[in-house]
Amino acid sequence: MTEDRNAWGRRPGWLAPAVLILPAFVVVFAIAGYSALSLFQLSTVDLTFGEPFSNAEAVGLENYQWLLTNQHSTFWATLRVTVIYLLGTLIPELLLGFAIALLLNRKMRGNSLFTAVLVIPIVLMPSMVGLIGRLYFSYDGLVNYFFEILTGIRHNWYGKDLALLAVILVDIWEWSPFFILILLAGLQTLPIEPFEAARVDGASRWQSFTLITLPLMLPLLLTTLILRFMDVLRLFDVIFVMFAGGPGTATTTLPLYVYRSTLVLRDVGRGSAASIMLIIIIVSLTVILIKVRERIKFEV
Amino acid sequence: MKPTWRSLTGSRLLDVLTLFVVFAFLFPYLFMVSSAFKSRLETFAYPPVFLNFTPTLEHFDNIFSDMNILFYMKNSTIIAVCSTLLTILIAIPATYSLARYRFRYKEGVAYGFLFLQMVPGISIVFALFFIARSLDLFDTHIFLIVVYLLWNIPYAIWMMRGFVEGIPVELEESAMVDGASRFKAFRLITLPLMAGGVAATAILIFIGVWNEFSVAFFLTSTNARTMPTTIAFFMTHSGIKWGPMFATATIGTLPVVVFALLVRRYFISALTFGAVKG
Repeated sequence: MTEDRNAWGRRPGWLAPAVLILPAFVVVFAIAGYSALSLFQLSTVDLTFGEPFSNAEAVGLENYQWLLTNQHSTFWATLRVTVIYLLGTLIPELLLGFAIALLLNRKMRGNSLFTAVLVIPIVLMPSMVGLIGRLYFSYDGLVNYFFEILTGIRHNWYGKDLALLAVILVDIWEWSPFFILILLAGLQTLPIEPFEAARVDGASRWQSFTLITLPLMLPLLLTTLILRFMDVLRLFDVIFVMFAGGPGTATTTLPLYVYRSTLVLRDVGRGSAASIMLIIIIVSLTVILIKVRERIKFEV
Repeated sequence: MKPTWRSLTGSRLLDVLTLFVVFAFLFPYLFMVSSAFKSRLETFAYPPVFLNFTPTLEHFDNIFSDMNILFYMKNSTIIAVCSTLLTILIAIPATYSLARYRFRYKEGVAYGFLFLQMVPGISIVFALFFIARSLDLFDTHIFLIVVYLLWNIPYAIWMMRGFVEGIPVELEESAMVDGASRFKAFRLITLPLMAGGVAATAILIFIGVWNEFSVAFFLTSTNARTMPTTIAFFMTHSGIKWGPMFATATIGTLPVVVFALLVRRYFISALTFGAVKG
């Protein structure tokens, strides 16, 4: 039997890598598996939060059916809010982030200080950010102060028309720097040659931006968008602290819906069913996005 | 090419714009810190008070003496430090395995970790609540420490894998040619070289746990309560206690901001699970 040798000149055994990875594998998959099993079990029962589990009554998949089809279910309205929240945060953050990254990508004194400053919003405690947002968006708050200077009008951000916009604006403040920092790092590693060639050929700045910068940056733009997408879809703390999903259901995104079903309406079964749907949505959409990104990577 | 007057004024304008934009991002934070030193009336003043106030330390006095904020800082520190150390301890061998060996389903395993990392805390926290109750571990440090491993270990593996793969395997090989065992080669060559990356990963995990809210909020009550979940104390029937809240936010975010600035070099890879090098 010929021995299949690897770079180490040894037989590529499976034992060593398996043993090394085993602790991590066991810990992570045990926690996840245990939680997933009990989550699924909870999603198939009728149980009021606060009662002992022995009171649970098995109802099969009724909770899922109720969420998706019952006329009193606000699941679809929740999805609508979630989509608005996703688009309302991701698109401005991407555009603003890219624009500011381009702005910072010039020779200028103090650039390293600027990038240091931009780290701050990202690492602040989200729960505190939510509470601060609540004060800043109050009627006598900071945001209305600047609004009044610029437009002469103050708004009621706590109302159901503007509450979602308020949490979106907080997220834009907190997370545009995420796009700025990553895209700036990307811009700084772009090769110089294509830009010089374009200048020799008489291309305008706009042309070299759309024809060179943009295509070269596309994979990174998508990567950043995917990472942020996962995070926005599971964001709970800031919205919870600012408005707890209210007023009404104005800021009830999917994670908030899970919380409200379980703790406010005290319906453990439906809350757990919603949790499982949230997990399925996040994982499947992310897998699709990763596939799309891989395809684009090969075309450029 | 000589700079023209127009291009000079143009770039000056852009410089000013850059300054303005960066300041706009910093401003809400500065206002938060300054508000921790304002009296209650000044916090609510309209138009807002920016600089013309007499600084007071009463809110800091309040949170340390009445609210016992040190207790929650201690809980946060215990949980964040223990969970971070456990994570690194468990993740280093796994990282090494994924970075240095070839085996079947390797990428499958790596992506398996990544997908578990994506599970939102809020989606499993109520299931964890029932588990904690049945194990009699509700409101304990150990339960949070272990639960956080679910997110920390995959994150650490993805972060550190890039660092290990960046170290030439030939260094280890030559040590082994000289008679070192594989473990010794790793301990003497690779481990010191990846130490910076490990430290950065540890700090970023620490920040994540220190800031974590959803899981900690629903799995603790009095004994193991952490800093981010103390916000509930500021929401009283007579309104929100803004002064102590700003003081707590200032103190609670201080270590994290300092840490984050320390590992700035690694921040880009940290934000992208190591997918992008800074």
